[in-house]
Amino acid sequence: MRVVIVEDHALLREGIVALLREHDVEVVAQAEDPEGLLRVVRGHRPDLAIVDVRLPPTFTDEGLRAAIAAREIHPPLAVLVLSQYVEPVYTAELLSSGGTGGIGYMLKERVGDVRAFMDAVHRVHAGGTALDREVVAELVRGRDESDDCGLDRLTPREREVLGLMAEGRTNAAIAETLVVTGGAVEKHVTNIFQKLGLPVSQGDHRRVLAVLAYLQASG
Amino acid sequence: MSADTVDVLRHDDEREPDPAFGLQVAFSATVGAAVTVVWVAAGGEDFWPRWVWFGLAVLLVLHLLVRWAVLTPPWPGKALRIGTTVLVVLSIIDVAIWMLTGANDAFWPLWPMIGYGVIAASATAVVHRHRLPGARSQQLIERVDELTRTRSGALDVQAQQLRQIERNLHDGAQVRLVALTMQLGRAEARLEDAGDEATLALVRRARVEASAAIGELRDLARGIAPPVLADRGLAAAAESLGKRAAVPVVVETRLGERPAPVVEAAAYFVVSEALANASKHAASSEVRVSLEQDRRRLVVVVADDGPGGADPLGSGLTGLRRRVEALDGRFAVASEPGVGTSIRAELPCVS
Repeated sequence: MRVVIVEDHALLREGIVALLREHDVEVVAQAEDPEGLLRVVRGHRPDLAIVDVRLPPTFTDEGLRAAIAAREIHPPLAVLVLSQYVEPVYTAELLSSGGTGGIGYMLKERVGDVRAFMDAVHRVHAGGTALDREVVAELVRGRDESDDCGLDRLTPREREVLGLMAEGRTNAAIAETLVVTGGAVEKHVTNIFQKLGLPVSQGDHRRVLAVLAYLQASG
Repeated sequence: MSADTVDVLRHDDEREPDPAFGLQVAFSATVGAAVTVVWVAAGGEDFWPRWVWFGLAVLLVLHLLVRWAVLTPPWPGKALRIGTTVLVVLSIIDVAIWMLTGANDAFWPLWPMIGYGVIAASATAVVHRHRLPGARSQQLIERVDELTRTRSGALDVQAQQLRQIERNLHDGAQVRLVALTMQLGRAEARLEDAGDEATLALVRRARVEASAAIGELRDLARGIAPPVLADRGLAAAAESLGKRAAVPVVVETRLGERPAPVVEAAAYFVVSEALANASKHAASSEVRVSLEQDRRRLVVVVADDGPGGADPLGSGLTGLRRRVEALDGRFAVASEPGVGTSIRAELPCVS
């Protein structure tokens, strides 16, 4: 795995780099601004870019725009966007951006939960999705408001499973988190898809996309 | 003093040339010249055109006087000018009578004119004793202008400072706390490998605490200066608030050029507070947020179909009212029981 880190705070950049190296992830380049990211993407063709949303020069959402632009240059690039805020507007932009690589959007402090963070890094690198639970909570809340949706037909347990699915977790990871068997998770998943009227799709990633498409349908 | 009064007062300063008066001068000059030519052609006896000239001049003077009196600030400056106008007209009538009766006697209109002069002088003196209202209005206008300017300057500075505080939090304390959680996380991983369960539990708890502190700082920063507002503007920020709300929200925006940050922030907090209220009190099936901007103002309306009966004097709504009125805006709450609550804020947004 070849990774580029874009973060303007040296303290955080070094922390993430050290963490990744401890887990045998190759950090091919570090950058501090959008220009740097695009240069690295053109030059090194990395697999994964870990990008801070707020970057120079204006310290607003350059990182997000740069990540989307980098995927246009190099569509297989997987992007993991880190931020101190999650914004529903940004989630929608990221998920609808072009490119074929995986997508992640997480709060920065989640990096401290090393196992979950490395799990997310690997998932996004493998073309999957990793969304912060706050992002998912907002998506679910947004969907919940619209009437005639199936969410209220789900049991509390099924809602939990739905949330974890939307974060991008695999069945195995969901089973571990909820301390249940893999078989139990599969049963919940089948029920959820049935109650929401979603076509049962094969493969974790396509399943996530189906759930996200459903959640985002509220607008 | 309301904005309307200032507008009226300002009329006095903006004395544009009066085209009607120019026309009248031209007309009078032409007629005067014409009758003089006729008089010369008729043989030049008894200079009768002076009556025509006199009549035309009187009309011109009347025109000027009326204009001068009408375009005055209200009482008592206006009274003084109208009084003076009446006295001048009386003097003209006296002089006209004197001329019509032959103009041969002693100039008797002098005596009434002296009387008029005394009346005008004493009236002027009285008004001046009341500190010359015309000048006082002028002072008030200047003072209002100055206060408006400095207040909006102060609010702009405040908005910038809040944004700066948010930046400082983001780049200072929050970064350090995030770095701390990363280091604690790495320590956790090592303790896990070493199998030191007791220390691991302590470190994990420390990391969870640090994460909670980051969460609290994030909420604090969002309450001070929401980043999405600065990044993407009002429409995106309202959309974001709508998505975060616990009730269904429909957002409609018709916005032009971005207004001043302080106006944007006020509009944002109106929407935010109104949505929070709607979520808290109302079992609304839907809340409608509308943001419309034209050249002069930004109108924010948040309406729900909940049970109504909100207290316009409650602390939240009073805070919003103050915020809006500090920007010379208008704020209204309609909350009939059974009809729903509608909050409307109108913010001037001319730079």
